[in-house]
Amino acid sequence: MILTPQIWVRLVALVLLTALLQVTFFARVELFGTSPDGAVLVVMTLGLLGGSVSGAVGGFSIGLLVDCLLMQTLGAFAASQMAVGYVAGRYRESVGRPTRGAVPLLGGVFTLLGLLAFAAIQVGTGIDADVSPLVVRDALIKSLLGALLALPVFQLVRLVLRPALVEDRPGGRRPVAPRAADSRG
Amino acid sequence: MYRKQVRRRRAVLLLLVVASLTLLSLYFRESEAGPMHRAQRGVATVLGPFAEAADRALKPARDFVNWFDDTFEARGENEQLREQVAELRDELSRAQTQAGQADELGRLASLTGGGLVPPGFEAVTARVVGRSPTVWYSTITIDKGTSAGVRVDAPAIAADGLAGRVSAVTKGTAQVKLITDPTSSVTGRVLPEGSVGVVEPDVGDPQNLFLNYVQRGEEIAEGQNVVTAGFAGDALDSLFPPGIPVGRITDSSLEQQQAYQRVELRAYADLRDMQFVQVLVEK
Repeated sequence: MILTPQIWVRLVALVLLTALLQVTFFARVELFGTSPDGAVLVVMTLGLLGGSVSGAVGGFSIGLLVDCLLMQTLGAFAASQMAVGYVAGRYRESVGRPTRGAVPLLGGVFTLLGLLAFAAIQVGTGIDADVSPLVVRDALIKSLLGALLALPVFQLVRLVLRPALVEDRPGGRRPVAPRAADSRG
Repeated sequence: MYRKQVRRRRAVLLLLVVASLTLLSLYFRESEAGPMHRAQRGVATVLGPFAEAADRALKPARDFVNWFDDTFEARGENEQLREQVAELRDELSRAQTQAGQADELGRLASLTGGGLVPPGFEAVTARVVGRSPTVWYSTITIDKGTSAGVRVDAPAIAADGLAGRVSAVTKGTAQVKLITDPTSSVTGRVLPEGSVGVVEPDVGDPQNLFLNYVQRGEEIAEGQNVVTAGFAGDALDSLFPPGIPVGRITDSSLEQQQAYQRVELRAYADLRDMQFVQVLVEK
Protein backbone atom coordinates (compact mmCIF):
# COMPACT_ATOMS: atom_id res chain seq x y z
CA MET A 1 0.00 0.00 0.00
CA ILE A 2 1.42 3.39 -1.02
CA LEU A 3 0.70 5.92 1.69
CA THR A 4 0.36 9.46 0.43
CA PRO A 5 -1.31 12.33 2.36
CA GLN A 6 -4.38 11.82 0.21
CA ILE A 7 -4.49 8.14 1.12
CA TRP A 8 -4.02 9.00 4.80
CA VAL A 9 -7.09 11.21 4.56
CA ARG A 10 -9.02 8.42 2.92
CA LEU A 11 -7.87 5.92 5.53
CA VAL A 12 -8.85 8.19 8.41
CA ALA A 13 -12.24 8.83 6.79
CA LEU A 14 -12.68 5.10 6.25
CA VAL A 15 -11.85 4.33 9.89
CA LEU A 16 -14.21 7.03 11.16
CA LEU A 17 -17.02 6.05 8.81
CA THR A 18 -16.64 2.35 9.65
CA ALA A 19 -16.83 3.04 13.38
CA LEU A 20 -19.89 5.25 12.93
CA LEU A 21 -21.60 2.75 10.64
CA GLN A 22 -20.83 -0.08 13.03
CA VAL A 23 -22.49 1.78 15.90
CA THR A 24 -25.39 3.44 14.07
CA PHE A 25 -26.23 0.89 11.38
CA PHE A 26 -24.75 -2.60 11.60
CA ALA A 27 -25.24 -2.97 15.36
CA ARG A 28 -28.84 -1.79 15.07
CA VAL A 29 -30.18 -3.85 12.23
CA GLU A 30 -31.36 -7.37 12.76
CA LEU A 31 -31.21 -10.20 10.28
CA PHE A 32 -32.24 -13.72 11.27
CA GLY A 33 -32.11 -12.73 14.91
CA THR A 34 -28.63 -11.21 14.96
CA SER A 35 -26.72 -8.15 13.75
CA PRO A 36 -24.10 -8.29 11.02
CA ASP A 37 -20.60 -7.13 11.91
CA GLY A 38 -19.51 -4.59 9.29
CA ALA A 39 -16.39 -3.38 11.10
CA VAL A 40 -14.69 -6.76 11.07
CA LEU A 41 -15.19 -6.99 7.29
CA VAL A 42 -13.58 -3.59 6.72
CA VAL A 43 -10.69 -4.57 8.99
CA MET A 44 -10.31 -7.86 7.14
CA THR A 45 -10.27 -6.01 3.82
CA LEU A 46 -7.62 -3.59 5.09
CA GLY A 47 -5.48 -6.57 6.05
CA LEU A 48 -6.07 -8.39 2.77
CA LEU A 49 -5.28 -5.31 0.69
CA GLY A 50 -2.56 -3.68 2.76
CA GLY A 51 -0.89 -6.43 4.74
CA SER A 52 -0.54 -7.22 8.43
CA VAL A 53 0.61 -3.80 9.61
CA SER A 54 -2.20 -1.96 7.80
CA GLY A 55 -4.68 -4.54 9.02
CA ALA A 56 -3.53 -4.42 12.64
CA VAL A 57 -3.35 -0.62 12.81
CA GLY A 58 -6.67 -0.20 10.98
CA GLY A 59 -8.32 -2.80 13.20
CA PHE A 60 -6.96 -1.25 16.38
CA SER A 61 -8.12 2.23 15.32
CA ILE A 62 -11.61 1.17 14.31
CA GLY A 63 -11.97 -0.95 17.42
CA LEU A 64 -10.80 1.86 19.70
CA LEU A 65 -13.29 4.27 18.18
CA VAL A 66 -16.11 1.78 18.60
CA ASP A 67 -15.03 1.26 22.23
CA CYS A 68 -15.24 5.01 22.75
CA LEU A 69 -18.57 5.46 20.97
CA LEU A 70 -20.20 2.61 22.85
CA MET A 71 -18.54 3.60 26.13
CA GLN A 72 -17.43 0.01 26.64
CA THR A 73 -14.19 -1.39 28.05
CA LEU A 74 -11.49 0.59 26.32
CA GLY A 75 -9.20 -1.65 24.28
CA ALA A 76 -11.37 -4.77 24.22
CA PHE A 77 -12.90 -4.38 20.77
CA ALA A 78 -9.68 -2.71 19.63
CA ALA A 79 -7.61 -5.76 20.55
CA SER A 80 -10.00 -8.18 18.87
CA GLN A 81 -10.10 -6.14 15.65
CA MET A 82 -6.35 -5.77 15.72
CA ALA A 83 -6.05 -9.56 15.82
CA VAL A 84 -8.39 -9.91 12.85
CA GLY A 85 -6.54 -7.28 10.83
CA TYR A 86 -3.17 -8.80 11.61
CA VAL A 87 -4.21 -12.35 10.70
CA ALA A 88 -5.89 -11.13 7.49
CA GLY A 89 -2.70 -9.27 6.63
CA ARG A 90 -0.58 -12.33 7.29
CA TYR A 91 -2.89 -14.30 4.99
CA ARG A 92 -2.25 -11.74 2.28
CA GLU A 93 1.51 -11.84 2.88
CA SER A 94 1.77 -15.59 2.83
CA VAL A 95 -0.95 -16.74 0.41
CA GLY A 96 -1.48 -13.64 -1.74
CA ARG A 97 -4.48 -11.51 -2.50
CA PRO A 98 -7.61 -13.63 -2.29
CA THR A 99 -9.71 -14.44 -5.34
CA ARG A 100 -13.31 -13.27 -5.56
CA GLY A 101 -14.50 -16.72 -4.61
CA ALA A 102 -12.33 -16.83 -1.49
CA VAL A 103 -13.48 -13.47 -0.12
CA PRO A 104 -16.90 -14.65 1.19
CA LEU A 105 -15.27 -17.65 2.83
CA LEU A 106 -12.68 -15.41 4.46
CA GLY A 107 -15.49 -13.04 5.51
CA GLY A 108 -17.18 -15.85 7.39
CA VAL A 109 -13.95 -17.10 8.94
CA PHE A 110 -12.70 -13.67 10.04
CA THR A 111 -16.12 -12.75 11.47
CA LEU A 112 -15.96 -15.89 13.58
CA LEU A 113 -12.36 -15.11 14.52
CA GLY A 114 -13.36 -11.59 15.58
CA LEU A 115 -16.18 -12.94 17.72
CA LEU A 116 -13.92 -15.52 19.35
CA ALA A 117 -11.21 -12.95 20.02
CA PHE A 118 -13.69 -10.50 21.53
CA ALA A 119 -15.27 -13.28 23.62
CA ALA A 120 -11.84 -14.37 24.85
CA ILE A 121 -10.99 -10.82 25.89
CA GLN A 122 -14.33 -10.43 27.63
CA VAL A 123 -13.84 -13.68 29.51
CA GLY A 124 -10.28 -12.61 30.33
CA THR A 125 -11.54 -9.33 31.76
CA GLY A 126 -13.93 -11.02 34.10
CA ILE A 127 -17.23 -11.39 32.25
CA ASP A 128 -18.62 -14.65 33.52
CA ALA A 129 -20.85 -15.96 30.76
CA ASP A 130 -21.80 -19.44 29.63
CA VAL A 131 -21.48 -20.56 26.05
CA SER A 132 -25.14 -21.26 25.49
CA PRO A 133 -26.55 -22.80 22.27
CA LEU A 134 -28.03 -19.38 21.57
CA VAL A 135 -24.58 -17.79 21.56
CA VAL A 136 -23.23 -20.48 19.22
CA ARG A 137 -26.22 -20.03 16.91
CA ASP A 138 -25.72 -16.26 16.99
CA ALA A 139 -22.05 -16.63 16.13
CA LEU A 140 -22.77 -18.95 13.23
CA ILE A 141 -25.43 -16.66 11.77
CA LYS A 142 -23.09 -13.67 12.19
CA SER A 143 -20.44 -15.60 10.28
CA LEU A 144 -22.89 -16.44 7.51
CA LEU A 145 -23.92 -12.79 7.27
CA GLY A 146 -20.23 -11.89 7.22
CA ALA A 147 -19.73 -14.27 4.31
CA LEU A 148 -22.65 -12.68 2.45
CA LEU A 149 -21.45 -9.11 3.00
CA ALA A 150 -17.74 -9.77 2.56
CA LEU A 151 -17.53 -9.29 -1.21
CA PRO A 152 -19.47 -5.98 -1.41
CA VAL A 153 -17.49 -4.57 1.53
CA PHE A 154 -14.23 -5.79 0.00
CA GLN A 155 -15.01 -4.16 -3.34
CA LEU A 156 -16.13 -0.91 -1.72
CA VAL A 157 -13.01 -0.57 0.44
CA ARG A 158 -10.87 -1.51 -2.53
CA LEU A 159 -12.52 1.24 -4.55
CA VAL A 160 -11.78 3.79 -1.82
CA LEU A 161 -8.15 2.72 -1.50
CA ARG A 162 -7.50 2.03 -5.18
CA PRO A 163 -4.91 4.80 -5.65
CA ALA A 164 -2.87 3.26 -2.84
CA LEU A 165 -2.93 -0.30 -4.15
CA VAL A 166 0.08 -1.31 -6.22
CA GLU A 167 -1.66 -4.10 -8.07
CA ASP A 168 -4.60 -1.88 -9.07
CA ARG A 169 -2.40 0.76 -10.70
CA PRO A 170 -1.98 0.75 -14.48
CA GLY A 171 0.96 -1.55 -15.18
CA GLY A 172 0.89 -2.80 -11.61
CA ARG A 173 1.55 -6.42 -11.00
CA ARG A 174 -0.11 -8.89 -8.77
CA PRO A 175 1.70 -9.15 -5.47
CA VAL A 176 3.77 -12.14 -4.78
CA ALA A 177 4.53 -13.85 -1.54
CA PRO A 178 7.39 -12.10 0.29
CA ARG A 179 9.55 -15.18 0.33
CA ALA A 180 9.38 -15.49 -3.45
CA ALA A 181 10.22 -11.80 -3.83
CA ASP A 182 13.11 -12.25 -1.43
CA SER A 183 14.54 -15.18 -3.37
CA ARG A 184 14.55 -13.12 -6.54
CA GLY A 185 17.00 -10.87 -4.89
CA MET B 1 14.74 -5.48 3.04
CA TYR B 2 12.42 -8.35 3.96
CA ARG B 3 13.97 -8.65 7.43
CA LYS B 4 13.43 -4.97 7.93
CA GLN B 5 9.81 -5.38 6.98
CA VAL B 6 9.43 -8.28 9.39
CA ARG B 7 11.07 -6.28 12.19
CA ARG B 8 8.78 -3.34 11.47
CA ARG B 9 5.76 -5.59 11.42
CA ARG B 10 6.70 -7.21 14.70
CA ALA B 11 7.39 -3.88 16.30
CA VAL B 12 4.02 -2.49 15.24
CA LEU B 13 2.24 -5.60 16.42
CA LEU B 14 4.08 -5.49 19.76
CA LEU B 15 3.25 -1.84 20.15
CA LEU B 16 -0.44 -2.46 19.47
CA VAL B 17 -0.60 -5.44 21.83
CA VAL B 18 1.10 -3.43 24.56
CA ALA B 19 -1.25 -0.51 23.87
CA SER B 20 -4.30 -2.78 24.10
CA LEU B 21 -3.14 -4.39 27.32
CA THR B 22 -2.27 -1.01 28.80
CA LEU B 23 -5.64 0.40 27.86
CA LEU B 24 -7.45 -2.61 29.30
CA SER B 25 -5.52 -2.67 32.56
CA LEU B 26 -5.63 1.10 33.09
CA TYR B 27 -9.31 1.22 32.24
CA PHE B 28 -10.11 -1.42 34.82
CA ARG B 29 -7.81 0.00 37.46
CA GLU B 30 -8.92 3.62 37.38
CA SER B 31 -12.16 5.16 38.60
CA GLU B 32 -14.87 6.71 36.45
CA ALA B 33 -13.14 10.06 36.79
CA GLY B 34 -9.78 8.69 35.60
CA PRO B 35 -7.99 9.95 32.49
CA MET B 36 -8.91 6.94 30.33
CA HIS B 37 -12.59 7.32 31.07
CA ARG B 38 -12.36 11.07 30.50
CA ALA B 39 -10.61 10.52 27.19
CA GLN B 40 -13.25 8.00 26.18
CA ARG B 41 -16.03 10.42 27.06
CA GLY B 42 -14.17 13.18 25.20
CA VAL B 43 -13.97 11.12 22.00
CA ALA B 44 -17.59 10.08 22.39
CA THR B 45 -18.58 13.73 22.85
CA VAL B 46 -16.66 14.84 19.78
CA LEU B 47 -18.05 12.04 17.63
CA GLY B 48 -21.51 12.24 19.20
CA PRO B 49 -23.00 14.73 16.71
CA PHE B 50 -21.61 12.72 13.79
CA ALA B 51 -23.07 9.56 15.26
CA GLU B 52 -26.39 11.30 15.73
CA ALA B 53 -26.40 12.60 12.16
CA ALA B 54 -25.45 9.15 10.85
CA ASP B 55 -28.12 7.62 13.02
CA ARG B 56 -30.81 9.87 11.51
CA ALA B 57 -29.53 9.51 7.98
CA LEU B 58 -29.37 5.73 8.22
CA LYS B 59 -32.76 5.25 9.84
CA PRO B 60 -34.58 4.50 6.55
CA ALA B 61 -31.91 1.97 5.61
CA ARG B 62 -32.12 0.36 9.06
CA ASP B 63 -35.90 0.26 8.88
CA PHE B 64 -35.67 -1.36 5.46
CA VAL B 65 -33.35 -4.12 6.66
CA ASN B 66 -35.34 -4.61 9.85
CA TRP B 67 -38.54 -4.83 7.81
CA PHE B 68 -37.06 -7.84 6.04
CA ASP B 69 -36.21 -9.47 9.33
CA ASP B 70 -39.62 -8.65 10.82
CA THR B 71 -41.37 -10.08 7.78
CA PHE B 72 -39.27 -13.22 7.92
CA GLU B 73 -39.84 -13.55 11.66
CA ALA B 74 -43.57 -12.90 11.30
CA ARG B 75 -43.75 -15.62 8.69
CA GLY B 76 -41.93 -17.98 11.03
CA GLU B 77 -44.24 -16.99 13.88
CA ASN B 78 -47.23 -17.49 11.65
CA GLU B 79 -46.10 -21.01 10.83
CA GLN B 80 -45.40 -21.66 14.51
CA LEU B 81 -48.85 -20.42 15.47
CA ARG B 82 -50.46 -22.53 12.78
CA GLU B 83 -48.67 -25.59 14.16
CA GLN B 84 -49.80 -24.66 17.66
CA VAL B 85 -53.38 -24.24 16.49
CA ALA B 86 -53.24 -27.62 14.79
CA GLU B 87 -51.82 -29.22 17.95
CA LEU B 88 -54.47 -27.58 20.12
CA ARG B 89 -57.19 -28.62 17.71
CA ASP B 90 -55.93 -32.20 17.95
CA GLU B 91 -55.87 -31.99 21.73
CA LEU B 92 -59.34 -30.51 21.81
CA SER B 93 -60.75 -33.15 19.51
CA ARG B 94 -59.08 -35.87 21.58
CA ALA B 95 -60.54 -34.39 24.76
CA GLN B 96 -63.95 -34.00 23.17
CA THR B 97 -63.83 -37.56 21.87
CA GLN B 98 -62.85 -38.86 25.30
CA ALA B 99 -65.57 -36.80 26.95
CA GLY B 100 -68.10 -38.09 24.42
CA GLN B 101 -66.97 -41.66 24.95
CA ALA B 102 -67.13 -41.30 28.72
CA ASP B 103 -70.62 -39.85 28.43
CA GLU B 104 -71.68 -42.64 26.08
CA LEU B 105 -70.25 -45.31 28.38
CA GLY B 106 -71.99 -43.70 31.36
CA ARG B 107 -75.34 -43.71 29.62
CA LEU B 108 -74.73 -47.27 28.43
CA ALA B 109 -73.93 -48.43 31.96
CA SER B 110 -76.97 -46.70 33.44
CA LEU B 111 -79.18 -48.20 30.73
CA THR B 112 -78.05 -51.78 31.17
CA GLY B 113 -77.62 -51.37 34.91
CA GLY B 114 -81.25 -50.43 35.37
CA GLY B 115 -82.66 -53.94 35.35
CA LEU B 116 -82.58 -54.47 31.60
CA VAL B 117 -80.20 -57.38 31.75
CA PRO B 118 -82.23 -60.55 32.27
CA PRO B 119 -81.22 -63.07 34.91
CA GLY B 120 -78.44 -65.38 33.75
CA PHE B 121 -77.04 -62.73 31.38
CA GLU B 122 -74.39 -60.06 31.67
CA ALA B 123 -73.52 -57.05 29.57
CA VAL B 124 -70.15 -57.06 27.76
CA THR B 125 -68.98 -53.65 26.65
CA ALA B 126 -67.45 -53.59 23.18
CA ARG B 127 -65.91 -50.84 21.09
CA VAL B 128 -67.21 -50.22 17.58
CA VAL B 129 -64.24 -50.87 15.29
CA GLY B 130 -65.94 -50.93 11.92
CA ARG B 131 -69.01 -49.72 10.12
CA SER B 132 -70.66 -50.78 6.93
CA PRO B 133 -69.73 -48.20 4.34
CA THR B 134 -73.17 -48.09 2.78
CA VAL B 135 -75.73 -45.41 3.45
CA TRP B 136 -78.05 -47.94 5.04
CA TYR B 137 -76.04 -48.22 8.26
CA SER B 138 -76.90 -51.87 8.35
CA THR B 139 -73.98 -53.41 10.23
CA ILE B 140 -71.16 -52.55 12.56
CA THR B 141 -68.16 -54.53 13.72
CA ILE B 142 -67.24 -54.69 17.40
CA ASP B 143 -64.02 -55.75 19.11
CA LYS B 144 -65.49 -58.57 21.20
CA GLY B 145 -66.15 -62.09 19.97
CA THR B 146 -66.60 -65.62 21.18
CA SER B 147 -63.67 -65.27 23.59
CA ALA B 148 -65.76 -62.70 25.48
CA GLY B 149 -68.84 -64.90 25.35
CA VAL B 150 -70.51 -63.16 22.43
CA ARG B 151 -72.80 -65.43 20.45
CA VAL B 152 -74.82 -65.04 17.26
CA ASP B 153 -78.24 -63.38 17.87
CA ALA B 154 -77.08 -61.79 21.13
CA PRO B 155 -78.76 -58.36 21.55
CA ALA B 156 -76.55 -55.29 21.24
CA ILE B 157 -77.49 -52.14 23.12
CA ALA B 158 -76.15 -48.66 22.44
CA ALA B 159 -75.99 -45.77 24.92
CA ASP B 160 -79.57 -44.62 24.37
CA GLY B 161 -81.34 -47.72 23.20
CA LEU B 162 -81.41 -50.88 21.17
CA ALA B 163 -78.76 -51.13 18.46
CA GLY B 164 -79.31 -54.55 16.91
CA ARG B 165 -78.23 -58.13 17.26
CA VAL B 166 -75.06 -60.08 16.59
CA SER B 167 -75.22 -61.64 13.13
CA ALA B 168 -71.75 -63.15 12.84
CA VAL B 169 -68.96 -63.76 15.29
CA THR B 170 -65.26 -64.61 15.32
CA LYS B 171 -62.98 -65.21 18.26
CA GLY B 172 -62.14 -61.53 18.72
CA THR B 173 -64.77 -59.61 16.77
CA ALA B 174 -68.45 -59.73 15.98
CA GLN B 175 -70.75 -58.24 13.40
CA VAL B 176 -73.88 -56.56 14.67
CA LYS B 177 -76.86 -56.22 12.37
CA LEU B 178 -78.45 -52.92 13.27
CA ILE B 179 -82.17 -52.33 13.64
CA THR B 180 -81.88 -50.16 10.53
CA ASP B 181 -80.84 -53.12 8.41
CA PRO B 182 -83.52 -53.84 5.76
CA THR B 183 -83.94 -57.39 7.04
CA SER B 184 -84.24 -56.42 10.69
CA SER B 185 -87.49 -56.66 12.65
CA VAL B 186 -88.03 -56.38 16.40
CA THR B 187 -91.21 -56.82 18.35
CA GLY B 188 -91.95 -53.53 20.09
CA ARG B 189 -94.38 -52.40 22.72
CA VAL B 190 -95.79 -48.88 23.03
CA LEU B 191 -95.69 -47.51 26.54
CA PRO B 192 -97.72 -47.13 28.61
CA GLU B 193 -100.77 -48.62 26.80
CA GLY B 194 -98.94 -51.76 25.72
CA SER B 195 -99.89 -51.88 22.03
CA VAL B 196 -97.59 -54.30 20.24
CA GLY B 197 -96.16 -54.05 16.74
CA VAL B 198 -93.09 -54.92 14.72
CA VAL B 199 -90.30 -52.36 14.51
CA GLU B 200 -88.87 -52.26 11.00
CA PRO B 201 -86.44 -49.86 9.37
CA ASP B 202 -87.23 -46.99 7.09
CA VAL B 203 -84.58 -48.06 4.59
CA GLY B 204 -82.39 -45.12 3.69
CA ASP B 205 -83.06 -43.12 6.86
CA PRO B 206 -80.91 -44.51 9.64
CA GLN B 207 -82.73 -42.72 12.44
CA ASN B 208 -86.28 -43.38 11.29
CA LEU B 209 -88.15 -46.59 12.08
CA PHE B 210 -91.69 -47.89 11.59
CA LEU B 211 -93.83 -49.73 14.07
CA ASN B 212 -95.94 -51.89 11.83
CA TYR B 213 -98.85 -54.20 12.45
CA VAL B 214 -100.40 -52.16 15.26
CA GLN B 215 -104.13 -52.87 15.47
CA ARG B 216 -106.51 -50.15 14.16
CA GLY B 217 -108.27 -49.65 17.43
CA GLU B 218 -105.13 -48.94 19.48
CA GLU B 219 -104.64 -45.34 20.52
CA ILE B 220 -101.16 -44.18 19.63
CA ALA B 221 -99.92 -40.66 20.28
CA GLU B 222 -96.83 -38.75 19.29
CA GLY B 223 -94.13 -38.75 21.97
CA GLN B 224 -94.89 -42.22 23.35
CA ASN B 225 -91.97 -44.55 23.93
CA VAL B 226 -91.48 -47.88 22.24
CA VAL B 227 -89.50 -50.62 23.97
CA THR B 228 -88.72 -54.20 23.08
CA ALA B 229 -91.65 -56.52 23.85
CA GLY B 230 -89.46 -59.51 24.66
CA PHE B 231 -92.04 -62.25 24.40
CA ALA B 232 -91.42 -65.88 25.26
CA GLY B 233 -93.36 -68.76 23.81
CA ASP B 234 -93.24 -72.50 23.62
CA ALA B 235 -91.84 -72.65 20.12
CA LEU B 236 -90.24 -69.27 19.70
CA ASP B 237 -88.64 -66.81 22.06
CA SER B 238 -87.81 -63.20 21.25
CA LEU B 239 -84.12 -62.53 20.83
CA PHE B 240 -84.38 -59.35 22.86
CA PRO B 241 -85.21 -59.06 26.53
CA PRO B 242 -88.20 -56.86 27.31
CA GLY B 243 -87.94 -53.17 28.12
CA ILE B 244 -84.97 -52.03 25.99
CA PRO B 245 -85.79 -48.53 24.67
CA VAL B 246 -86.13 -48.53 20.89
CA GLY B 247 -87.49 -45.13 19.94
CA ARG B 248 -90.04 -42.36 20.38
CA ILE B 249 -93.17 -42.08 18.26
CA THR B 250 -93.09 -39.12 15.90
CA ASP B 251 -96.19 -39.75 13.79
CA SER B 252 -99.11 -42.14 13.58
CA SER B 253 -101.42 -42.34 10.65
CA LEU B 254 -104.52 -44.39 10.07
CA GLU B 255 -105.07 -44.94 6.43
CA GLN B 256 -108.43 -45.95 5.00
CA GLN B 257 -109.00 -49.58 4.06
CA GLN B 258 -106.04 -50.73 6.14
CA ALA B 259 -106.29 -53.16 8.96
CA TYR B 260 -103.18 -51.89 10.77
CA GLN B 261 -101.79 -48.57 11.81
CA ARG B 262 -98.45 -47.39 10.49
CA VAL B 263 -96.52 -45.62 13.22
CA GLU B 264 -93.29 -43.70 12.68
CA LEU B 265 -90.69 -43.52 15.38
CA ARG B 266 -87.23 -42.10 15.84
CA ALA B 267 -84.57 -44.44 17.17
CA TYR B 268 -83.08 -43.50 20.54
CA ALA B 269 -79.69 -44.91 19.71
CA ASP B 270 -77.48 -42.75 17.53
CA LEU B 271 -76.71 -45.57 15.14
CA ARG B 272 -74.52 -43.41 12.91
CA ASP B 273 -72.14 -42.25 15.60
CA MET B 274 -71.98 -44.77 18.42
CA GLN B 275 -68.57 -45.70 19.79
CA PHE B 276 -69.54 -48.46 22.20
CA VAL B 277 -72.24 -51.07 22.54
CA GLN B 278 -73.03 -53.62 25.18
CA VAL B 279 -73.77 -57.15 24.15
CA LEU B 280 -75.88 -59.33 26.41
CA VAL B 281 -74.11 -62.64 26.88
CA GLU B 282 -74.92 -65.68 28.93
CA LYS B 283 -73.05 -65.92 32.23
